[in-house]
Amino acid sequence: MNIIVFIKQVADTEARILIKSDKKSLEIENKYNMNFFDEFAVEEAIRIKEKFKDSLITVCTYGTKKAIEALRTAIAMGVDRAFLLDNTNLDNDDPLIIAKILSSFAKKEGFDLILCGRQAIDDENANVGAMVAEFLNIPHISAILKLEVIDDKKVKAESELEGGREVIEAQLPALFTTQKGLNEPRVPLITGVMKAMKAVIPAIDPCSLGIVKEDIDTKASKITVLSYEPPQSRPPVKVIDGETPEEKVKSLVKALKEEAKAL
Amino acid sequence: MSKDVLVFIECKEGTVRKASLELLSKGKEITEKFSSYLYAVVIGYQIKGIAEGLKSFSDKVIAVDNESLKDYRWDTYMTVLEQLIKKYTPGMVFGASTITGKDMFPRLAARLNGAIISDAVGIDLDGENVRIKKPLFGGKIISWVVCKPGSTSLISFRPNSFSIEKRSLNGELIEETVEAPRDSRLNILSIDKSGSKKVDIQEADFIICGGRGMKGPENFQILEEIADIMGGRVGASRAVVDSKWREYDDQVGKSGKTVSPKLYIGCGVSGALHHTMGMDTSKVIVAINKDPNAPIFQYADYGIVDDLFNILPFLKEELKRAKEEI
Ligand SMILES: Cc1cc2nc3c(=O)[nH]c(=O)nc-3n(C[C@H](O)[C@H](O)[C@H](O)COP(=O)(O)OP(=O)(O)OC[C@H]3O[C@@H](n4cnc5c(N)ncnc54)[C@H](O)[C@@H]3O)c2cc1C
Repeated sequence: MNIIVFIKQVADTEARILIKSDKKSLEIENKYNMNFFDEFAVEEAIRIKEKFKDSLITVCTYGTKKAIEALRTAIAMGVDRAFLLDNTNLDNDDPLIIAKILSSFAKKEGFDLILCGRQAIDDENANVGAMVAEFLNIPHISAILKLEVIDDKKVKAESELEGGREVIEAQLPALFTTQKGLNEPRVPLITGVMKAMKAVIPAIDPCSLGIVKEDIDTKASKITVLSYEPPQSRPPVKVIDGETPEEKVKSLVKALKEEAKAL
Repeated sequence: MSKDVLVFIECKEGTVRKASLELLSKGKEITEKFSSYLYAVVIGYQIKGIAEGLKSFSDKVIAVDNESLKDYRWDTYMTVLEQLIKKYTPGMVFGASTITGKDMFPRLAARLNGAIISDAVGIDLDGENVRIKKPLFGGKIISWVVCKPGSTSLISFRPNSFSIEKRSLNGELIEETVEAPRDSRLNILSIDKSGSKKVDIQEADFIICGGRGMKGPENFQILEEIADIMGGRVGASRAVVDSKWREYDDQVGKSGKTVSPKLYIGCGVSGALHHTMGMDTSKVIVAINKDPNAPIFQYADYGIVDDLFNILPFLKEELKRAKEEI
């Protein structure tokens, strides 16, 4: 089984993020991780390989050279190989373009199954998975909670619906986005970490995947960020005073009604 | 590209979801300004009544009614929308950033080679420009984004981003028949909608969220009672979900659901960054915590420093009384 996992390196939730004076760019503290939801994708791929031993797991990301760190984490967890689709000189954040690049990579490598996280925790977009599936003309199932690979042609997946769940049988090749609840991502063992340190991770120029540069450079982007701004800060908390719990609650409900107009 | 706006309507239990009405309200404001049309597209089976009900909100209501469209599937629904978009050529297509919206909109954008902005929270009309407001990094940064002129723009908004304005438009009802064959590579074996009677956590106006301070699953009963009184939902911190006191569906935060109710009450929730990133766009935040230094007080509008077990019984009574007065 040929498995591709697409991951993204994202700023840690604790990282300090500053808006630069041009208001059009950000300065992000040097604290990065593999995207939270992508860990479930990597873990699931490894579990499939544990069952179908002759599988090959390829992890890939589109990003800066720095993103190689996230690829190393995946190797430390147990994937076979990793590639960076280097975005140097392409600086582009349009999901449509990223999906085009990733799908070109998948086409070139070949695959039976593609996994990626439900969404990235930096932009919350949840775009790229389903878009890649469309460009590859394969079915996708979003936000899966269970995946059972029956053979190299068929899988059964359980996914979240509005107010429920559904169980779907899908023919491979197909793409699945993963979320919390699917599995418990493993913590890499020291031997894995050692292997990851030594692994050679090729950086690929996306233009070598048969894509024309004009189609993926900044000018091709269909969305433009005009500016960044800090969120509106909340006024300081009003601590509700009172002698007894009952008094406090009465004052709170009064404030919610009369002042905040929230009732 | 036209300045028309098309809204993809989501239904639940035979009624239009609140999030869709919010989008129609905002859509009307935009089309009024541009003197363009607002389309509401409703897809499903036996949806005549729903379509009729939408006429007051929209200039045109397009209904695609077919038994094969009874349940949402991206393959069929997307094909329907794709064809309607090609026929009616709206400049902007709005949807809700829900499980359905997140599943279908990106794929539709790829098919149409369109521009996509997901999980937006606001829109600003400045001259001819339509600027979209989108939070990044869990709300630490707000970005303002525009779509390239000339491309169909698909934009999904978080529920509770806009208020619902009642209108009396008496729009035109258009019934369309669209061929939407199923993708034979996908076969739905079973659907369990047992949770669909509950208020959707992302759409809820009121959320009372329990943290580890609730001490155990049995104590969530009173939160359920309060949520019922308020017509809202119980939420939970990750610590609670990880302890299996509540379902993952209830989880608020970075690795759960992003919510922005009109009123959020946190009970025994410490307010870790991963949690607050999922709720800090709530209109009014109340925190009940016995620790005056709990970080949640940095986000709260109102705080009660006390043992929550002393507070909750009174809170239930007072909220009940407040509701009865209205
Ligand atoms: C990658 C990642 C993703 C995460 N995603 C999420 C997420 O989506 N959602 C989420 O919630 N968390 C998430 N977390 C976890 C988060 O960091 C916190 O650990 C979690 O939110 C803590 O939950 P809590 O507030 O219920 O528990 P605690 O932090 O243990 O807080 C309990 C609080 O209850 C108070 N308390 C105790 N007893 C009482 C009482 N009798 N009366 C009043 N107050 C009392 C205490 O003072 C304390 O403040 C994530 C963490 C990571 C690393």
